[in-house]
Amino acid sequence: GPEWELAFIICFPRKFDCRSREKETFSCWWEPGSDGGLPTEYRLFYTQEREVRECPDYVSAGANSCFFDKKHTSIWAEYTMTVVATNALGNASEEFRITDVMEYVKPDPPVNVTVVVNSSAPSPFLEIRWKSPPDVDVRTGWVTLKYELRVKQNDSKEWKVNIGSETFFNFYNVYPGLLYMVQVRCKLDHGKWSEWSNTIFAEIPKNHQLEKYFWIFVFVFSLVPFLMAMYIVLLKRNAVKQCLLPPVPGPKIKGLNAHLLKSGRSEDVVNALMGNQNFPPVAAWTEQVEDFLLVSDSDEWLLTDSFASEKNKDIFIIPAGLHLGLEIQRRDLSVDLNTWEKTDDSKEEAKSNFSNMEPINLPVEKHEFLNGEEKSIQPLASTSYVDIQQHPTLTDYSRVKEVNDNTILILNEEEIPHGLDAEEVKSEVSVPDDYSRVKEVNSDVVFLEKGDSADGCCKKKEDHYTDWTNQKPIMPLESELSKGFCLKMIASGYVDSGPAFSVK
Amino acid sequence: ALCSRLSSIRAASSCTNGQTGCHFLSLANLFDRVIQHSARMHGISNDLHSEFELYFLPSKNQIGRVSRNCHTSTILTPNGKENAQRIAREELTEVILKLLVAWREPLWHFHQNMAQHREFNNFSSNKSLEMSEMVHELRRGVQKVVEKMQMLGVINSSLGNLGSPEALLASDRAEWRLMNDYDLLYCFRRDSNKIQNYLKILKCRIVPEHGC
Repeated sequence: GPEWELAFIICFPRKFDCRSREKETFSCWWEPGSDGGLPTEYRLFYTQEREVRECPDYVSAGANSCFFDKKHTSIWAEYTMTVVATNALGNASEEFRITDVMEYVKPDPPVNVTVVVNSSAPSPFLEIRWKSPPDVDVRTGWVTLKYELRVKQNDSKEWKVNIGSETFFNFYNVYPGLLYMVQVRCKLDHGKWSEWSNTIFAEIPKNHQLEKYFWIFVFVFSLVPFLMAMYIVLLKRNAVKQCLLPPVPGPKIKGLNAHLLKSGRSEDVVNALMGNQNFPPVAAWTEQVEDFLLVSDSDEWLLTDSFASEKNKDIFIIPAGLHLGLEIQRRDLSVDLNTWEKTDDSKEEAKSNFSNMEPINLPVEKHEFLNGEEKSIQPLASTSYVDIQQHPTLTDYSRVKEVNDNTILILNEEEIPHGLDAEEVKSEVSVPDDYSRVKEVNSDVVFLEKGDSADGCCKKKEDHYTDWTNQKPIMPLESELSKGFCLKMIASGYVDSGPAFSVK
Repeated sequence: ALCSRLSSIRAASSCTNGQTGCHFLSLANLFDRVIQHSARMHGISNDLHSEFELYFLPSKNQIGRVSRNCHTSTILTPNGKENAQRIAREELTEVILKLLVAWREPLWHFHQNMAQHREFNNFSSNKSLEMSEMVHELRRGVQKVVEKMQMLGVINSSLGNLGSPEALLASDRAEWRLMNDYDLLYCFRRDSNKIQNYLKILKCRIVPEHGC
């Protein structure tokens, strides 16, 4: 019938809530039920001490609300609220009970929250001040306000919390250069906490004083060693002078006496300058020239030049680290470009058994190893090594890096040209093609320039060694060329792998 | 721990020269102590009430609960700030004392009951004991304040029946036994809040210059 139709159309107001801001007044709101779209009137009746009254104020707290002012508010008293919904279809009501307004006390958040950075010594801190919410009466002792404050670093997740009754707080746990957030909320007696106040930000200025001290400290500490260094330099100024400004050798002309110049006797000067007028015979000079090696860029010259082939140049090439006990025979090397190109690929596969045999780093052990073996360079049948016995002996090749008069060139590189085979070395003497590497020429010795540490060429597979005996000596590839000689250890001895020349 | 044992207030009452300022200061101090005391008592009652709700009544509805009848409902109490300020000092003081007297025995029995229940943990049991002791101590403290006020002439000395709380107790003896434990806690929470508020209002009416 129409009655239960009514029940479907008008739903009772379901939600009901109240709030008191200052423990002196309070408001209640109800949620309007589904009313079928019809204009519905809501009325609130409350009973207190067995007297039914109607809501004194439907307006002040907004729509669907009832506001109870001071006269109509009784704390600690019980209210029974009845909300009645009326429309064209009928009316419906629901009852709500409030046992104690104190349970609905929820104040506004504190106001005028200020955060000031106090930069006084010894460390900065935040001075946080606020005021109670405007409606709350704090003077008569009617309410007890409790405040909760929370502070956190801007990029941190943890809040530091403090609860108290005062309206100020000094927060000391701050660090220079950081940004902090501050919020405050309050509570009346044992009611609910208010919402948090707006966040206040405060940044602690960086402590420039500390930085100043730091730099002063650094300056002083760096000054002391500096002064000490200066003092030492002063003491040893002569030695420093020697080191930094080596005395430029004055022009020394044989037979010329500096004092002679000073004395100024022109005859003596002229004599000294000119020396004795006896010039050496030209033949001697050419003889000397003969011993000089020729430099050329093209291999054609090397192969075709009759002069070069005639000359039968002797090249002393001694692998670095080679023990002096070994005899090095002159070896004629020929250039075979073709063979070299073929072995280019095989070279890549070579493993490095000699990675630790770079001549520069050849330790004494190697030396000793050589000693133990007492092996001499395998004189290969077809090779002819230069006899170096006429040269002064050195104790450690790896260390010889300079040349004195007739000493032997030490090559620091180990690079084994591919497939170098001493056996098949032709009897022709090949002139080193890359004279650019020739550092200095002195009598019978050619000094090749030190190159980079052995790479690639020296790192070859062991099987490669066996190839050596079968292959022709091959010039190392251009990429390898900067290296000098390679030392390769085959089984028990060093094998002279031959020179590394540039093929250009 | 109850640091504010009112017996230690003897030092405050050593103003022998009759300087009114000194006496009023000591009265303000007395008020502060009892107010602190009442605040703590109210705090404990609030905690106990919440714990009780947690343990025994997990599903509670804020609005629509069964009406409670506290045994102190017969005591007329001012239910608002204005009322509390308008009421006579003596009357307000009397209300405070009546409330304190009315709760002494019920709280004691409550503590006895709770000590036997195993659901209530030891912590809560200690609280109920503390609560019952506090209500007794607070009554003694407020009586001291009244004596001081009477001595200072702040209130009339005509409050004779305050000295005989037994008269008040007799009328309330039976009613509190009708309350169940939960209602008892609820009612005491409310009444302790009243006591705290009334004491504060009283202090700010009598010695307002000392922090209100």
